[in-house]
Amino acid sequence: MGAVLEVKDMGIRFGGLVALDGVNIDVPEWEIVGLIGPNGAGKTTLFNCVMGLYQPNNGTVQYRGRDISLLPTHRKVALGIGRTWQNIGLVRELSVLENLLLAQHPRIRYGALAAIFGSPSTFLEERRLRANAMEVLDFLGLAHLADSKLDGLPYGTLKLIEIGTVLATDPDVVLLDEPSSGMGPDEAHAFGERLIRLRQELNLTVLMIEHHVPLVTEVCDYVYVLNFGKVLTHGKPKEVQRHPEVIAAYLGGDVEADTSEEPADATS
Amino acid sequence: MSAGAETLQAPVATPDASGRWRPSTQGWVARGLVATILVGLLLLWILPSKNLAADRISNAVIFAIIGLSLNIVMGYTGQVSLGHHAFVGIGAFASAYYVTEKAHCTEASCSMPAFFTGVFIAIAIGAISAGILGLIALRIKGLYLALITLTYGFVAVNSIFEIQFLTRGGSGMPAPRPEEFASDRSYMFLCIAILGLLLFIDWRLVSSKVGRAILAVKHSESVAATYAVNVTNYKVFAFMLSGAFAGLAGALFAHRRTIVVGVDFTFQIALLWVLMVVVGGLGKRLGVVIGSMFFALFPFLVTKIGPLDHFIRNTMERDPDEFTLVMGPLLALLTLVQFKGGIAEQISPITRWLSGQRFSMHPEGHKPKEPGGLKKKLRGKENTGSATAANAAASSASSPSGNPDTSGAGAEPAAESSGSIEAKLRKGVK
Repeated sequence: MGAVLEVKDMGIRFGGLVALDGVNIDVPEWEIVGLIGPNGAGKTTLFNCVMGLYQPNNGTVQYRGRDISLLPTHRKVALGIGRTWQNIGLVRELSVLENLLLAQHPRIRYGALAAIFGSPSTFLEERRLRANAMEVLDFLGLAHLADSKLDGLPYGTLKLIEIGTVLATDPDVVLLDEPSSGMGPDEAHAFGERLIRLRQELNLTVLMIEHHVPLVTEVCDYVYVLNFGKVLTHGKPKEVQRHPEVIAAYLGGDVEADTSEEPADATS
Repeated sequence: MSAGAETLQAPVATPDASGRWRPSTQGWVARGLVATILVGLLLLWILPSKNLAADRISNAVIFAIIGLSLNIVMGYTGQVSLGHHAFVGIGAFASAYYVTEKAHCTEASCSMPAFFTGVFIAIAIGAISAGILGLIALRIKGLYLALITLTYGFVAVNSIFEIQFLTRGGSGMPAPRPEEFASDRSYMFLCIAILGLLLFIDWRLVSSKVGRAILAVKHSESVAATYAVNVTNYKVFAFMLSGAFAGLAGALFAHRRTIVVGVDFTFQIALLWVLMVVVGGLGKRLGVVIGSMFFALFPFLVTKIGPLDHFIRNTMERDPDEFTLVMGPLLALLTLVQFKGGIAEQISPITRWLSGQRFSMHPEGHKPKEPGGLKKKLRGKENTGSATAANAAASSASSPSGNPDTSGAGAEPAAESSGSIEAKLRKGVK
């Protein structure tokens, strides 16, 4: 089975700090791949390298067999690689609906000059975008928030809206950075079901950073564990969970100490 | 605490919440009436104006155009330009130079094509010179960029505006008007028509992908890039559009005066333009236009107030023009401290109402309410066994105050707060 996204030998240093070192990750078609690891393991850095927001020192990113390492970020997104942010990548100056319109940017069929001189096609296209955006909001059950500003909305809702915006970019593969943070266990569970449904309906391939262990075991087909910039281990969620090194990395060596001593590094 | 995370739930969509609020027919009639009265008052002011009064309005309209130009840089891209007098001046000299030297127009004979070609050249040169600044803005931001624009302005004043063949030194370059716009009154209508066109462009800018992309870039370049926005292009585009507006304003300014002198474009006036945009309301075109026109008309308004005029002229022995430089910063201070959002924010209840929304004094407009209101919502939560206090804390999740969970680096606040839940879950899984 061909991999949609292949990260090969990715490495980046910030001064003396080796943030990523020889990371290899395959994201096969139609799979939900989890990326877990303690705080500071380099998960978000990896996302930034894949998206081209950081310039890695070495390594390549291949998208459907094509080397896209050197493409600028916006071109990668236009190709179909969507990404969400750990601390919410929404534009506060815009309303919920406008954020979803912004997200459809790569697919807008009018030019900048046509837009500012008010060509009729702009109005038609904007109407179509609006309909698309409402469809996404309806799907997420947020239609009633379309016209509201982002300020004052609960964190979990913002996370959900962000999922909406990344869907609106019409992605082929999405990189989700802790999608369930700010959600309670019930919501996280509901989110997991929604994610599986999304994959079914939109043919999505997903690479996601996630700390919510039940969610990872529930939805992920495959899990990579990152620790100190290296892939510690990878495999099916159940296998990874029992891997002694993973438990050590997460719980600081003591497997049974999960009631009183909450691992401080499990949450960044 | 187990309820804490649950209250972060997304509000549930209600079937009857889908329709937006729309005014009734009477409501629309009332809005139409008020709008007619406002437009009527404006026309009553503009239409009878002749000569000096018309010239004053032209000046105010040109200020409004400059305000719109600065608003693109300051309101939309979030940068400060202290060198806008350079772009306006370059536009003014470009148009005057073309009309006088290349098209050989004189006061008596100036054709429409020559005039408009001059204006277009001013627009193009304004756009190009601001585009250079945009390229710098790709690398430098905020205060440092403001300093660069400041230097840019000084360099322009001391180099370009000193070129003899372009500016004819202190005597100035003539900028004749075509016959059709020879009278101040007809020129005023030209300026108003152009302002109308620019307002339309600004409206389309904001309500299309271009404005959204520029605002996204202002918010965060990385986030904008992940929405496939070409950050470089849109940044330069915004600066070029601003420069085009400024060049156009410069050309109109030149032909209003019919002669351009380098001393018309000073740092003082650039500062005043920045202030008028701030007072008008950053990012709000109507507020910016009102603020700019107010600043332009201010010296005139001062002379209408007898005692103040007497005080400035006789006691202080100053020109009323200079009083703007005192009043401008004061108004800007008031805007920053007391009346946030400037004129635009103060008139926003009216503009929102006129645009077909419910009347509300709340700056953010009418918040969508779920049927039954807050009480019902809270009661609903109680039934499912959550604490209302936690609910209240969660609803203010965006403000760090009183909710230590959300203040932590913005990473994953609730996950930290619901640590015990995670522990339980992990237990359950094992």
